[in-house]
Amino acid sequence: MTRFEAVRLIREWAPDDPVVASLGHPAYDLFASGDRDLNFYTWGSMGLTSSIALGLALARPALAVHALDGDGSLLMNLGALATIGNLAPANLAVFVLDNGVYGTTGGQPTPTSRGADLEAAARAMGIARTATARGENGLRQALAAVREAPGPWVVVVKVEESAPTARPPLDCVFIKQRFMAALGQE
Amino acid sequence: MTDPQRDHPPGPSAGSAVPSWAAGVAAGLAAAGCHDVLYVPDNPLSHILEALRRDHPGVRTRLATREEEAMGIAAGLHLGGARPAVLMQSSGLGNTLNAIGSLLVPYQIPLLMVISMRGDAGEWNAAQVPMGRAVVPVLDAFGIEHLAVERGEEAEGTVLALAHLAFGTRTQAACLLPRRLTVPVRGGVA
Repeated sequence: MTRFEAVRLIREWAPDDPVVASLGHPAYDLFASGDRDLNFYTWGSMGLTSSIALGLALARPALAVHALDGDGSLLMNLGALATIGNLAPANLAVFVLDNGVYGTTGGQPTPTSRGADLEAAARAMGIARTATARGENGLRQALAAVREAPGPWVVVVKVEESAPTARPPLDCVFIKQRFMAALGQE
Repeated sequence: MTDPQRDHPPGPSAGSAVPSWAAGVAAGLAAAGCHDVLYVPDNPLSHILEALRRDHPGVRTRLATREEEAMGIAAGLHLGGARPAVLMQSSGLGNTLNAIGSLLVPYQIPLLMVISMRGDAGEWNAAQVPMGRAVVPVLDAFGIEHLAVERGEEAEGTVLALAHLAFGTRTQAACLLPRRLTVPVRGGVA
């Protein structure tokens, strides 16, 4: 399963939920899988995707909030797992698109390619609902579990790198304003 | 077990008198509608947390492991309609620079920062001085408005005015708490 295939599955599984995407390839793939107002594309702040999604989940407990993070990105902000475990919002699911490389910067290997286990890290930080999904069927099973049991969830999705085919809009304020308008803010 | 959504248990300052500057900052936050406060702990900030716990039960405080993470959470809170504030020590501002420069500023995400200063007059630790000196130039480099509270009675109005600027104009603003305000030197040299 490529990263794009995984992102498309998640996007189709959550047609009406807000999704926050990490900069670079995860955001590109989310855009390519279907642009919409409820996609929040980050263009910087590597590592903060799960934290942004956490904040939104805390502010709006009635929403199901999803983060599309990367393995390299999450490794920049591992403390986020402790905070998510501590605050434990039931409505947050963090999907870690784990391809074992820094895909956006040229494919340099990340520590997960040498055994670093981000699902184990999430569990060790007090996040009870975790999974590692392999292949499309594995991801479908994980998505069904996320819908069934309250979170917070951390799902590590093992993927192969795939070349992005499109780029999201570059206007950060436009991205934010339409996202907030779709959530009924401002 | 404490409620993590309101996770400031009585700290070292519990029961002791809350200094007027801390009561003022807390009152300013509450009056500004900043009901979601993120913090990375610091001794002076514990007085503000105590004032919030004691006097402003409507304000939720949440611990972040790092100031940069707090900025990300704050951004998400804003997306969901909240008015977030981040309490941090000046050293922590150094941990937030890319979050400010590549998230808050370009996306016009408003945020009120309350920064307890290290490295300014009254400091005894040389390792705190360079970052402390960099706080104002760094904020200026990002074009972030900042005001220092000189006296306790100014604190509430300063916080309120900065919050007005931040949330009214979708920008960021910083309230600086100098060390001579938060940890007055009482004679002798460290």
